[in-house]
Amino acid sequence: MARFFPLEVTDVRRETRDAVVVTLAPRTEDREAFDFTQGQYLTFRRSFDGEELRRSYSICAGKDEGQLKVGIKRVEGGAFSTWANEELKAGDALEAMAPMGAFHVPLQPEVSRHYLGFAGGSGITPVLSLIKTTLAREPGSRFTLIYGNRSINSIMFREELEDIKNTNLGRFNVVHVLESEAQEIDLFSGRIDAEKCARLFKGWVNIAAIDMAFICGPEPMMLAIAASLHEHGLRDDQIKFELFASAPRRARHVVKTTANGARAETCKATITLDGSTRIIEMAKKGETILEAALAASLDAPYACKAGVCSTCRAMVLEGEVEMETNHALEDYEVRQGYVLTCQCHPLSDHVVVTYDQ
Amino acid sequence: MTSDPTDTMPLEDYLAQGGKLTTPENAPPRYRGELLRLMATFVDSELAGAAGFADIINQGPGIKERIAASRIVLEKLDHAERVLAVMGEFGADISRYASHHPWTARVARDSDLGSARHGSDMRLAVLHYPLQDWLDAVVMNVLMGRAVTIQLDEFSRLSYQPLGDIFRAILPRERRHMELGEEGLRKLLQDKANKPAIAASIAYWRPRVAASFGAAASQHFDTQKKFGLRHNGNAELAAEWARQVDSLLGELGLS
Repeated sequence: MARFFPLEVTDVRRETRDAVVVTLAPRTEDREAFDFTQGQYLTFRRSFDGEELRRSYSICAGKDEGQLKVGIKRVEGGAFSTWANEELKAGDALEAMAPMGAFHVPLQPEVSRHYLGFAGGSGITPVLSLIKTTLAREPGSRFTLIYGNRSINSIMFREELEDIKNTNLGRFNVVHVLESEAQEIDLFSGRIDAEKCARLFKGWVNIAAIDMAFICGPEPMMLAIAASLHEHGLRDDQIKFELFASAPRRARHVVKTTANGARAETCKATITLDGSTRIIEMAKKGETILEAALAASLDAPYACKAGVCSTCRAMVLEGEVEMETNHALEDYEVRQGYVLTCQCHPLSDHVVVTYDQ
Repeated sequence: MTSDPTDTMPLEDYLAQGGKLTTPENAPPRYRGELLRLMATFVDSELAGAAGFADIINQGPGIKERIAASRIVLEKLDHAERVLAVMGEFGADISRYASHHPWTARVARDSDLGSARHGSDMRLAVLHYPLQDWLDAVVMNVLMGRAVTIQLDEFSRLSYQPLGDIFRAILPRERRHMELGEEGLRKLLQDKANKPAIAASIAYWRPRVAASFGAAASQHFDTQKKFGLRHNGNAELAAEWARQVDSLLGELGLS
């Protein structure tokens, strides 16, 4: 089960018009749990209007800064990021899980490698952590950053990147690519796409010398860059991705309507999987929703059948069900309507369950 | 790692074009279900495989063979643990997982399960059959070892990058298990008297390992492919395995 720790907000610094950098301090006894690896992220939880939201933000500090910092860019309509940008202040408390994520490679002080990082917008946050940590802990290595933004004003960590460049002369390079601003060199205007990569790899980046590439940004950008890197000879294991994590992809929970009591011995279960819906007459006792779905030839996902692994998770949209055991879903998921179908019996005469939400 | 929604694209398109997901939060519900199912199949197979092999260690003819068998058991458990940790990030209760099932349970030797799942865990059907003795375990390990390396090679490209990375790291060690099996088989073949028993064991295990690749036409595979969790079809992988096995057995004078 996920475990959350309290963190004290010690500083909130405005980085751009719509992004803040939040410095956090764990309790003394939790320090070890927050001893992060460069490129990892923190998952926060907070209740908004009675609904718990969880959002992940990448750590933007290097390992040797002795601080825990995350960058939070405001997302249009995003409750958490708007709150963090407008209301969060020093002295507040936040709750977060221990750092997670595998967007890094083990550093080896004795080797000299050339890393290439791509960041789109706020995708810079984990890449900044990689840059700072790598330059500090692998003294023979170099890092080149290709960084895409809308305009100069929206560039996060612009000054800090300049400082890093000046203190690591010859070891760190940054190429800014700006979408809505014409620049002296045409190459640095527009979006980072396949064509842009091909041109960058011709003159600005010696792609043959790159040992490892990191990409963090929106999906189309990551696809275009990965394709280009492959085309230029990089293998899968030389490319690390970090997809934006905080965009809420789950459909909102549909408010449950109470079904027509619980009088019958059987239940009419409406089950949806991969967009197709079956209506199944099932016994209320002795058969789980999962078993009913499988018996009706629905290829429903499951594994342990013991309420442990959560593979069979689905959402109840209508009606009432009862779970025998639950070792996998958290309270907030249950409140949203999620159930483990392998442990689930209908209580009402009609239930509507979907594996698609 | 915050998002600018105007720059994004539908996740299905992203995955169809080879995009990678990197955290549980990225994973939409159906993707999550399929990914967990795939991980559970791997974890259960490793746990069941290790449990079956553990019983065989003491039958190894010499210390070297017992060390090799112990190493295989140790590393298969380690691989299960690594993948289980990823399941844990999706909410699975990893402390209960390893003990929720009797991993040493086996069906009768002459059962025929085909490729269907059996019982209440997700191990591959082939791992429900009992090993008879050291020779039988070596043969099974040779045939299954080839299958595992082919499967892991396929899985190392899957769209959930943290898992793909683990499979890529595991692959050379599983390949070594296969090689240890082949070394064991060569050693057994030095005694000509073993040949009929080896041939019988191959005849027993070959169709069962072949079935572990799954049905040639599989709707489930189509779903996995849509999500970038699989690339090559079951029949293709099975054919590659058959080709490798034929070549090996030919080389060993066992075809």
